[in-house]
Amino acid sequence: MIELRNVTKKFGRNTAVNDLWLTVAAGDIFGLLGHNGAGKSTAIGMMLGQVWPTAGEVKLCGYEVARERQQALQRVGAIFEAPAFYNDLSGWRNLEILSSYTAPTPARRIQEVADWVGLSGRIVDKVKTYSHGMRARLALAQALLPQPTLLILDEPGDGLDPEGIHEMRQTIQRLHRELGLTILLSSHLLVEVEQVCLSIAVMNQGRKVFQGSIAETRQGRGWLRLRTGNFAEAVAILRESGLITQEREGRFILPAAGVGADQVVERLVERRQPVFEIAPEEETLEGFYLSLMKK
Amino acid sequence: MIYYQLRNELWKMFGKKRTYIGFGAFLTAHASILLIFRYWQGPRRDMVHRLELLGYASEKFISSLTMAVAVLVPVAVFLMPLYVALVGGDLLAKEVEDGTLRMILARPISRFRLALVKWLAGLIFSVALSLALGGLGAAFASCLFPAGGLFVFLPMEGIFSVFEPGEGWSRYAIATVIVSGNAATVMGLALMFSCFNVKPAAATILALSVLLTSRIIQEIPYFHDLQPWFFTYHMNYWIKMFEARVPWAEILQSLCILFGFNLTLLIVGCVAFQVRDIKS
Repeated sequence: MIELRNVTKKFGRNTAVNDLWLTVAAGDIFGLLGHNGAGKSTAIGMMLGQVWPTAGEVKLCGYEVARERQQALQRVGAIFEAPAFYNDLSGWRNLEILSSYTAPTPARRIQEVADWVGLSGRIVDKVKTYSHGMRARLALAQALLPQPTLLILDEPGDGLDPEGIHEMRQTIQRLHRELGLTILLSSHLLVEVEQVCLSIAVMNQGRKVFQGSIAETRQGRGWLRLRTGNFAEAVAILRESGLITQEREGRFILPAAGVGADQVVERLVERRQPVFEIAPEEETLEGFYLSLMKK
Repeated sequence: MIYYQLRNELWKMFGKKRTYIGFGAFLTAHASILLIFRYWQGPRRDMVHRLELLGYASEKFISSLTMAVAVLVPVAVFLMPLYVALVGGDLLAKEVEDGTLRMILARPISRFRLALVKWLAGLIFSVALSLALGGLGAAFASCLFPAGGLFVFLPMEGIFSVFEPGEGWSRYAIATVIVSGNAATVMGLALMFSCFNVKPAAATILALSVLLTSRIIQEIPYFHDLQPWFFTYHMNYWIKMFEARVPWAEILQSLCILFGFNLTLLIVGCVAFQVRDIKS
C-alpha cells in the first residue's frame, strides 16, 4: 500500500530523511515512531506529494507519487496534527470544499460521514465554534469522504485530552474493523501506538532504526520473570549451577546461553525451591523504543 | 470539476471578513469625497471656473456623472490596488500559514490546477471590486448631485473633455468594466508572490512595492522614453476612455501587453508553487 525506496530528503545542508526504505502492507495498522525532528512528518509529506524527495521513490497504492500524484492520492485520506479549517464557514461547507478536491461529493454522503463521526448535530455551525474534539472529528470526516482505502494520520493525538485520546484509539480500531482501512499512524504517544498498531517503524535522525511487528517489540532480550519463595536463594542456586549469568530487580534472571526455562525450573525444584511463576519478560514498547534510541 | 473548485475558492474568499475591507473602504472614500464636493464650495468653485472659461454652462456639467468620474479616478489608481493586493497575497500564502493548504494537498489535485482556480477566483474578485467601485460611485453621486453631462479634467493625462449625458454614462460604464484589468494585474502580482514561501503580508507588500516602484520610475522625467516598458504605464489605458476621441488602438495594445504580463506572472507563480515543499 505504501512503499518508500531509498528515499532521502535534504533541506539545504540538513538531511531530514536519509535513505529510508519503508513498506506498509494493505490492511495493516502501521505506527511510525520517532522523536520530534526524527523525519516522520517529512516522510508523510513525501507520501502525500507535499514535500519532494531529493532522491528515491515513493509509491502509494501502486502509483509513484511524484509522477502520478492524482492516481496515487485518489483513495487516500489524511489527518494532520492540529487540523486546520476555514473557521468562518460551517463544518458542512468545509467538508464540501475539501472533498471536492477529490471529486464532487453528494450531500447524502456528507451527511452519512457526519453521522458516522458523530457531528450531525453541529455540522451546520461555523467551525470557529467547535471544540478541539469536534475539530478532530471534522478532520476525520473530511478524510473519510473520498472513501479511502488508506488513511494517513500525522500526530492525530496531539493536543487531545485523555478522553479525546481514548476516543481516537477507539475510532482507529473501528475504522480498521468496520471499513477495512490500511492506517499509517505517526505518533510519539507510545502507549497509543502499542495499543492500536499491528506493526511499527522507528525513525531516529532521519533514518529507520527498526521495522517489525508489535509482537517482535514485546519479545524481551532473553530475560525470564521468576517468582519463587526466596528469590535471592534461587539466584544463588542457579548461579552455582551456572544456569544464569545475571539477575535484576529481584524478579528477573538472564539464563546462560543454551539454557531453557525448563532446566531452571528442574534445578530449583530439585533443590526444593517453590516456583510460582516463570515466563519470558514482555518488554513494553516504551522500553523497546528507549533501548533503540540508546543504541 | 473546475466549477466546484472555483466555487470553493469563492466561498472561501467571500467567507472571510477581510475580503470586504475593499468594499467598505470604497463606500467610505466615495461618501467622503462626494460630501466634500457637495458641501464645500472651494472645489466646486474651481470646477465652475474651469468650465466657464471654456464657455460651458457649469450647471449642466456639475452633475452626478462628473462627480462619479472625479471619484472613480483617484480611488481606482490609489485605493483599489491596496485591496486587490491584500486579497491576492492571501490566496495561497494564507492557506499555507493557516495549515489548510496541507489539507488540500492531501487530495489528488495538481498544484497547477489549484493555482489556476485561485487565479480565476482572484479575477472574479477583481471584476466584482471594479464594478462595485463604479456602481457605488454612480449611486452615491446620483443621490447628491443632479443629472447632467460629463466634464473630465485630468491634467496629468492631458485630458480635458466634456460629453453629453448619454455618451458620458456609456464611457463611464466601459471604464468601470475595463478598470478591472488593472485590478486583475495587481491581484496577479500579489498571487505570484503568494506562491513563493512568504507570509501573506509579505506577498501583499511585495506586490505593492513592485507597483509603486514601477510607477515612481515611470514618472521620473529622464525616463520618459522608457515609459512603455513599465507595466504601470499600460495600466492607464482605461483613463483614455475619457479622451475626446477614444484611442482604441492604444487601449487594445495596452490590454494585450497587460495580458502577456499577467500570463507571465501566472506561469512564474505556478512554477514556484510546483517546486516548493509544503511543510507544517
